[in-house]
Amino acid sequence: MPSGRTWHDRHLGYVFVLPATLMLVAVLVFPAFITLKLSVTPEGGSGWGLTLLHYQKAFRDPVLLQTFKNTFAFVAWSMAGHFVLGLALALALNQALPGQTFFRLIALIPWTIPDVVAGIIFRWVLNPIHGALNPLIRMVIPSFPAEFQWLSSPTLAFPSVIFANVWRGYPLVMVMLLAGLMAIPRELYEAAAVDGAGKLRRFFHVTLPGLSTIILIALALDMVWEFRRFALVLAMTGGGPGTLTEVLSTLVYKTYFQFFTFEYASAMAIMMSAVLFVLSLPYIILVGRER
Amino acid sequence: MKRSAAASERRERRSDAILSYGFLVLSALFALFPLAWMLSTSLKSEAEAFSLPVRWIPQRLTLQAYGEMWTLKPFGLYFWNSIVVSGVTALLSTILGALAGYGFSRFHFRGRTSLLAFFLATQMISGVLVIGPYFQVLAAVELYNTLTGLIIAYVTICLPFAAWMSKGYFDSIPKELDEAGLVDGASRLQIFLRIICPIAVPGTVSTLLFAFLLAWQDLLWALCLVSIDEKRTVTLGVAFLVGEFVIKWPMLTAASLIGSLPTILLYLFLQRYYVEGLARGAVKG
Repeated sequence: MPSGRTWHDRHLGYVFVLPATLMLVAVLVFPAFITLKLSVTPEGGSGWGLTLLHYQKAFRDPVLLQTFKNTFAFVAWSMAGHFVLGLALALALNQALPGQTFFRLIALIPWTIPDVVAGIIFRWVLNPIHGALNPLIRMVIPSFPAEFQWLSSPTLAFPSVIFANVWRGYPLVMVMLLAGLMAIPRELYEAAAVDGAGKLRRFFHVTLPGLSTIILIALALDMVWEFRRFALVLAMTGGGPGTLTEVLSTLVYKTYFQFFTFEYASAMAIMMSAVLFVLSLPYIILVGRER
Repeated sequence: MKRSAAASERRERRSDAILSYGFLVLSALFALFPLAWMLSTSLKSEAEAFSLPVRWIPQRLTLQAYGEMWTLKPFGLYFWNSIVVSGVTALLSTILGALAGYGFSRFHFRGRTSLLAFFLATQMISGVLVIGPYFQVLAAVELYNTLTGLIIAYVTICLPFAAWMSKGYFDSIPKELDEAGLVDGASRLQIFLRIICPIAVPGTVSTLLFAFLLAWQDLLWALCLVSIDEKRTVTLGVAFLVGEFVIKWPMLTAASLIGSLPTILLYLFLQRYYVEGLARGAVKG
């Protein structure tokens, strides 16, 4: 190629990438810096008087500590549920059985529901008197308490929220794993079968290695999504009872828009983002290196 | 010997299929049960929704709740707002994302790797990190309580994904096509618009869908950037029904189902594109 064209190409690349980059700087990076600045500004203060007071307060805040623990548990259990259910469904759907498309469509449906609606659905399903779950359980176990309070129970409120989130979120992982499964060449399975590998061996020696990258990507994306999950929790429990089902998104939202302590909320948001960034760093490095 | 091996393999296949079907049926019930319960409630009168014992199928089917949501609450307006906001967001972020994706896929300019990492990192930013400043800045430039303000906010969350998905998709299209175009004397922009974009339709559709879905389903931004009834989106309208003093469950379930219908239908009709776009973009990339 003539050198003129490569020079041209080098600069043309910027032209294509520039609009999106400028947009992101304006609408994402700039506000993020305001948040950072707000988090070190004294309460009600302005200008450049800096303070770390909000962070000191945050480290001693039992509600924030509890909320961090809740969020980690929420994310970990949701990811586990999404992965197990998503992988099982992807394997079952990858067999070219008759009716496969029908089942794939149905399995996708929960993900097409807005998460605020998913929260409302489960709030109604778990309603102690008029909900569907208690009578359903009593059909199997007649001795089950008639008006069992799922969402105000200190021990079962949190698992209930996670359950609802597993219901709503597994299809994304399923779709990604299914796409990964379809990309594994058939010849690999045939070769393994010729070599006399059984079903389990084929799964561990062909399927899993073929899926490893997409599993990592799916889990990483799922982690980011679940870490930020907001509307499902807000609609289902509002964070209650007490702060037992509070997650970081709902806590930061409340601190901003219900308690109106913007500086403290900013500090919390910065801490939350820093943790999320560190957690997703392996993914960024992995994916960044491959491209 | 050979025949019995084939027979045992066939038997194994059949037992596999039975197991798979059993599992698929169970998981379909798991996916549909909560929705079926919503549907059942939405077809009841309020008295029946609260009657005991709980009835699985309404004794007297009524569409009352589906009428009330448009008259007692302005859900028509909410729908219009959601359609405008999600549609414009999807278009804007897909166009900007496709341009960036093509730039990343075809050009090797200085700083490309760092910029790519930047786009990747912006995917990790949580809405609550920037929601406070957004509220203040939009109020300062008088875009608080406007659909424009919401669109800007939604492009924020959709654009990083749109750029990334597009790049993956363009990577899967052979570079020889571009080179053939160059030989024919076409400009880069012509090549992008006339050769690459038509091939990239499945990827573009999946990006559009993804962005539309993200915007349609959001609650956080609408909750923080809109305070007047006329600018509420569907999800916000539904969320406010939960906050009312006495929850009208038939109307709430009806509004929830109708509010989810656009994204459900879009997905069911376009899921082929979606899976293919994901497969070629995110997976193989």
